Amino acid sequence: MITFELSEEQIMAQSAMQDFASNVLGPAAQKADRAASADQATLDALWETGIVQSQIDQADSDRSAILNAIILEELGAGDASLAIALAAPFAFVRAIAQYGSQAQRASLAQFAESASFVPAAVALMEPQFGWDPRVLKTTAKKVDGGWQLDGAKTMVPFASKLAKVLVIAATPEGNKAFVVDGAAQGLRVAGAVATLGLRCLQMGDIALQGVRVSDQDVLGEGGEVDVQAIIDAGRAGLSAVMTGLSRAVTDYVIPYTKDRSAHGSALARKQVIAFRIADMHIETNAMRWMSWRAAFDVEKAPADATRSAQLAYTYSAGRCMSIADEALQAFGGHGYVRAHPIEMWYRNARALGMLEGLASV
Amino acid sequence: MVDFTLTEKDKQIIQIQLEDEQTVLKYARYYDQNHDELQPEELPEAKGRPNPYYMLQDSPDGTSGAVLTEAFLHLHTPDVRMRITRSGLGDKIVNYGGTPEQKARWGNKTLSIAITEPGAGSDPMMITGKARYDVATAEWILNGEKIYCSQFGMADGAVVMLRGEPDANNIRPFLSFVVEKGTKGLQVLGQVDKMGCRNWDTADFVLQDCRVPSINKLDVDFGGALQVFNGTRPMVAAMGLKYARSIMEAAVAKLEEQGQRIDYATNTNGRSAVQEKLLSMEAEYEAATMVILHSKWTEQNQGNASKLTMKEAAEAKAIGGRASRRISQEALALLGPAALSEEAFPEKWFRDTRIFDIFEGPGDICRLIVARHILGYSKKELS
Repeated sequence: MITFELSEEQIMAQSAMQDFASNVLGPAAQKADRAASADQATLDALWETGIVQSQIDQADSDRSAILNAIILEELGAGDASLAIALAAPFAFVRAIAQYGSQAQRASLAQFAESASFVPAAVALMEPQFGWDPRVLKTTAKKVDGGWQLDGAKTMVPFASKLAKVLVIAATPEGNKAFVVDGAAQGLRVAGAVATLGLRCLQMGDIALQGVRVSDQDVLGEGGEVDVQAIIDAGRAGLSAVMTGLSRAVTDYVIPYTKDRSAHGSALARKQVIAFRIADMHIETNAMRWMSWRAAFDVEKAPADATRSAQLAYTYSAGRCMSIADEALQAFGGHGYVRAHPIEMWYRNARALGMLEGLASV
Repeated sequence: MVDFTLTEKDKQIIQIQLEDEQTVLKYARYYDQNHDELQPEELPEAKGRPNPYYMLQDSPDGTSGAVLTEAFLHLHTPDVRMRITRSGLGDKIVNYGGTPEQKARWGNKTLSIAITEPGAGSDPMMITGKARYDVATAEWILNGEKIYCSQFGMADGAVVMLRGEPDANNIRPFLSFVVEKGTKGLQVLGQVDKMGCRNWDTADFVLQDCRVPSINKLDVDFGGALQVFNGTRPMVAAMGLKYARSIMEAAVAKLEEQGQRIDYATNTNGRSAVQEKLLSMEAEYEAATMVILHSKWTEQNQGNASKLTMKEAAEAKAIGGRASRRISQEALALLGPAALSEEAFPEKWFRDTRIFDIFEGPGDICRLIVARHILGYSKKELS
């Protein structure tokens, strides 16, 4: 039966995350952006929410993709960059918890027990022009006692600090996911270069040169896993974060345009501005329902999830960018200077809609 | 808990509509080319077939709800209606706010609603049609021209909105009257010659010193009566999307004939330009559909008098209307020059869908409603 009704637990989590996002993430956002790094205290506060750990404790049936989408929207409304800081290890942990073998799941104890933030990520994107998740250049080759990974991944969060990374690589039987230690031999991190947006993630490229992993490190019982399901969950997650960012932008534009006067009346009283704000609001709502729909499919109807997650991601990437763009335009020069967060949101919106694998529902 | 699964009964009812949709296609071109001819109240194929709308209204148990599931029927509105419903917005208003005597007289008639004039569309303040009371005969004398009245061709009459004599503040009040066909001074101008939706009964008429007795004057809170739009806006948005989607599906079918399909698994780099365009159209379609479904869910829970329902209905209409325009224009272009031919339906659907961002509240008016709501502005502050 079709319904948009949230459970009490979901409403409570939503409200708690909203408080956390506005009290902790919002105030830390611009500082982390300028420093191109997040405070350890902020990362630890993110960790202490228990969102990542909750994936480990729960039985498969208790993990709720819808709840994850709700949480990611709230975090994204606080700050998209810090939201992804948590979503990246979340994506890693969820993939292992959901699809991992017994031994792989047991290895998550490292995450469950840590009192402080553990950097981890899913490494899907590749640096070459025209990269395509179906035709990855990073390869895994069967060797004695395991596999050998070669290739390069780009824009991996916390590239130089990774405890663990799930590398998606091409094999003759299609894409597989490999659990790789951050300190593995042959894994080389290119010198960190700051990025346009989502700067606190310290994203960087990693090169894999003859990295050896054992058979037990191939994700899934016996190495069987549908990597597309991880990509789908990632797209749904990014869509939720973009929903949050778009909402934050809209909420920030409303009081400003009501307050600022030009040519005899408040900006917001001019149809050209008011209509843009109405569209921001409508499109943000559409993004939310699409991310919920995708999350629902990821959990309950995986066969439909590839489509609905792609649609949610495509729509959100386009609209999140245009919402940030229109907001910047409404602010005029004030949108272009760093005194307001608009220019940061504009950069973050561009980045979010270009990335894959950095979140999950 | 959030759920996006149709129930078995939802599917059953929607399936009937899907079959109707295919069945009536053979009449679509005829009524497109013969707009003066009203379709029969019931097509021969309707005999012995259940009416999906009645099935839903009569026993909503086991569906996602009478209001929500109906949105899926509207997303599959047949090109020509299987049956004409003998009820219009006008008789709904009589039944909503008429006196017992008025309800008895007109409650079971089919009455259109006549508001729009050549110089008054989305702003009713521009209405100039006049009503003047004649004390001598206790009659009202009505004058004016009303256009674009849905269902007026087959209706028994209309509820007509006019302006009375200026009050103390020199403002002409809005008054409404039931005017039945056959009343002297009512001149029916016939079917409107439209670009699309040419099967849709739409007529114009003139009132010239048309006299009606006092009983024909309704004392209705129009604002209240027009809450009906909170239900019909998402419905109309869904109907428009149906035509746009049909063109998009025709393009997808052509792609499949060439052994291609939209690849959802890959990213932009793995899709052709045509696939990418279709994906972006489909995403826009899906976005509009989700907003429509959410607004219907809100209406189902809060009723159509709620402020939230009003805002969400306007959202659905705004996003649906725009999506219909963009998708129909781009999908027809993708189909290529052959799609311009009247041999096939895409050119018809292209014409049909364009009205859906206009009637029942144009996108711009809907954006005004949404903007006022989220900015906290009154009508006066944002117009």
